[in-house]
Amino acid sequence: MVKYKLNNTPAMLKPSLGELVRSSFHSIFKNKSRTFLTSLGIIIGVTSVILLTSIGNGLQKYVNDQFDSLGSNTVFIVPGQIFNDKGGFNNSSQNRLVTTRFSLNDVATLRKGLRRSQILPLSQAVVDVKSGPILKKAKSLVGVTSDYGAANNALPSSGNGRWFTKDEEDKKSNVVVLGYQIALDLFPTTSPLNKKIVIKGKNLKVIGILDKKGSTFGGPSLDDFIYTPIGLVFDINGNQDIQSMYVKAPNKDLVPTTKDEISKLLLKKYDKDAFSVFDSSQLLSSINAIIGTLTIALSGIAAISLVVGGIGIMNIMLVTVTERTREIGLRKAIGAYPNAILLQFLFEAIFLSCFGGLIGIMLGSLGAFAINKVFPAIVTPGSVLLAFGVSSAVGIIFGVAPARKASQLSPIEALRYE
Amino acid sequence: MTKLSSKKDNPKVILELRDVVKTYTTGNTSFNALNKVNLSINQGEFVSITGPSGSGKSTLMHIVGLLDIPTSGEVLLNNLDIAHFDEKKLAQIRNVTLGFVFQQFNLLPKTSALENVMLPLLYSDVPQHLRRDLGVEMLTKVGLADKLVNTPSQLSGGQQQRVAIARALINNPKIILADEPTGNLDSKSGSDIMAFFHQLNQKEGRTIVFVTHDRDLANEADRIIIIKDGQIQIEQHPRHVET
Ligand SMILES: Nc1ncnc2c1ncn2[C@@H]1O[C@H](COP(=O)(O)OP(=O)(O)OP(=O)(O)O)[C@@H](O)[C@H]1O
Ligand SMILES: [Mg+2]
Repeated sequence: MVKYKLNNTPAMLKPSLGELVRSSFHSIFKNKSRTFLTSLGIIIGVTSVILLTSIGNGLQKYVNDQFDSLGSNTVFIVPGQIFNDKGGFNNSSQNRLVTTRFSLNDVATLRKGLRRSQILPLSQAVVDVKSGPILKKAKSLVGVTSDYGAANNALPSSGNGRWFTKDEEDKKSNVVVLGYQIALDLFPTTSPLNKKIVIKGKNLKVIGILDKKGSTFGGPSLDDFIYTPIGLVFDINGNQDIQSMYVKAPNKDLVPTTKDEISKLLLKKYDKDAFSVFDSSQLLSSINAIIGTLTIALSGIAAISLVVGGIGIMNIMLVTVTERTREIGLRKAIGAYPNAILLQFLFEAIFLSCFGGLIGIMLGSLGAFAINKVFPAIVTPGSVLLAFGVSSAVGIIFGVAPARKASQLSPIEALRYE
Repeated sequence: MTKLSSKKDNPKVILELRDVVKTYTTGNTSFNALNKVNLSINQGEFVSITGPSGSGKSTLMHIVGLLDIPTSGEVLLNNLDIAHFDEKKLAQIRNVTLGFVFQQFNLLPKTSALENVMLPLLYSDVPQHLRRDLGVEMLTKVGLADKLVNTPSQLSGGQQQRVAIARALINNPKIILADEPTGNLDSKSGSDIMAFFHQLNQKEGRTIVFVTHDRDLANEADRIIIIKDGQIQIEQHPRHVET
C-alpha cells in the first residue's frame, strides 16, 4: 500500500503550472476533431488578414518607393487635365481626347524663363525590339537628354556601363540605356553591354543597364523602358513632338513657385485645360488616397474573414459546452475550486489559439511571399499582431466564458447540464 | 423520533441536516424533493438509505455530499455550518474528506480508468511521484488491475462503477457517500462491493452512507433510513427488525 505524509505547507497552486499545461495538452489531443475545427477558424482568420493587409501595405510601399526615386523636387508637365477639382484623378472621358504636344520651342521658352531649373523633355515611341532571335513587342523607347540619367538618380551603377553624353545626344548616336527588366528579357544569358539591339531597322549599341527600380505590378514598369538620345526618337516618330517634361526645381521649397512660373509661361501659348503641371507630392497624395480606399476595402474583407473564423471558433465552443459543462461539474464534485477550472480552460484556449495562430501566420506569410512574385505584398508585424490578437481573443472569450459560467454552477447543476 | 444508539459508546456526530428543504422549480410549478429532513450521521457509522424511486434519495445524497445547496435548512459538518464556507473550502472538503460515488458514474469520456481514478489528486496535496502508484493501488483494490488503460466506453457498467469507487477512495476520505453503488451489478459483484464497503467501514473506520433499492443490502447496514416523498419515514436498526 502506498503510504505518504502530506506536506505541512500545501502548494499554492493546485494543480501546478506543469500539470495545467499537461492536462491542457491532453484535452486538446484527446479531442482531435474539436481541436482541428477550432484551429481551422483561427487559421482561416489569421491567414486571410495577413494576406490581405500585406497586399495593401505592399502597394503603399511600392508607390512611395517609385516616387522617392524620382525625387521630391520634380515638377511634371503633361498634356491634358489629369486632376479633378477634388484632388483625385480626373476620370472624364473627354480628357483622353486632348492631344496637346509640346515642342522644342516650349523647352527653349522654359529654359529661358527658369534659368535655375533643369528642364528634361521626354519623347516616347512604342517599338518592337530585337536582339538576335529574341523579339519583344510594344516596348517604350524613351527619348531623353544626356542629363536625364543624373537628374533622376537613374545612372547605371559601376560595371553596368554609362549614360550617353551631350555629344552623343547632339549627334543622335545609335546608343541605348536599358531598364533592368528589358535587359534581362533581351539578353537572358549574356551581358548586354556593347551588344546590338535592333529597333525600326536601326542597330543600336547598349551602353548601360539601369538598376532595378522596384517590384513590378501589372502595367508598364520603369524597368521595361529603353532610353536613347531624344533626337533619335524624333526621327523614329517622324516629328519633334514632346509628350511630357520633367522640371527639376533647385530645391524642394521652390517647387510651388516653379510650378507657378511654368504655368504662366505655358499659358501664353496653350489653353489652361491643355496641360497639367504638378509635383510628386501632389501625385503621391492622390495615389495614396486611392490606395487608402483600397486598403479600407481589403481590411473590410479581412475583417469579414476574421468574423467568419470567429464564428467557426464560436460554433465549436458552443457545441462542446455541454460536454465541458459536465466535465466541469465532475471536476468541481471531486474537489476543483473555481479558479483551477478557469485556469485549465484558459490554458486550453490559449494553446488552441496559439496553435492555430502560428499556422495561420506561417500560411499567411508563405502566401504573401508567393503573391510578392507578381504583386507587391509586405507582411507587417502590425497585421500579424492584429490577426493573432483578434483570433486569440475570440478563442479565449468563447472558450473561457462558458467555462466561467459553468464554474459558478453547483457541481450537480453542472453535471446535469444538457 | 428516538435516536438509535450506534455501536460505539460515545458517538460523535460527523454530519447533520436540520430542517433541510430542497425545492425544484420547473416553469411555474415548484416541487419539494426534500421536505424538512432532519438527519445525523455518526463517525464510523454504516448507514443505508432506501425508498421508492423519485423519493429524494439522490437529492439528499447530493446535499450531504456538499454537491448541491439546500433551499432552506442547515447542513453541518463536524458541527460547523457549511453555509459559512467559501467555494474553495467546500471544494477542499469534497476533495479530501468526502468520497462520492454517483448513480451515473460520471467518468470522464475518452480518458483511461487510471487517469479517471487519479483525477481528484490533481486538486490535492498528494506528492506528484506517488500519484500513479496510488491510482494503480486503488484500481487493484477494486479488482481492475488489468484495465488501467481502458477508457469508460471500453468497460462494462459494473467495471465503470468500480472505477468510480476507486476514484472516490483515492484521497483517503473519512466519509464515503455512494448512490446505488450496486445498482448496475449482478448479485455476485454487488455483494463483493458490499463486502468491500464493510471492510472500509470496519478495518479502516470510514463512515459510509449508501443508497440502495435492495432490502437485503440495506439490512446489512448499522442503520436503515427509509425515505418517502422527500421525508424520512423510519430510521431503524436492522438487527432489531430481524430479531
Ligand atoms: N433538477 C431537477 N429539477 C426538477 N425536479 C427534479 C430535479 N432533480 C430531481 N427532481 C425531482 O426530485 C425528485 C427526487 O429525485 P431524486 O433523484 O432524488 O430521486 P431518487 O430517490 O434518487 O430516485 P431513484 O431511486 O430513481 O434514483 C424526483 O421526483 C425528481 O423528479
Ligand atoms: Mg437516485
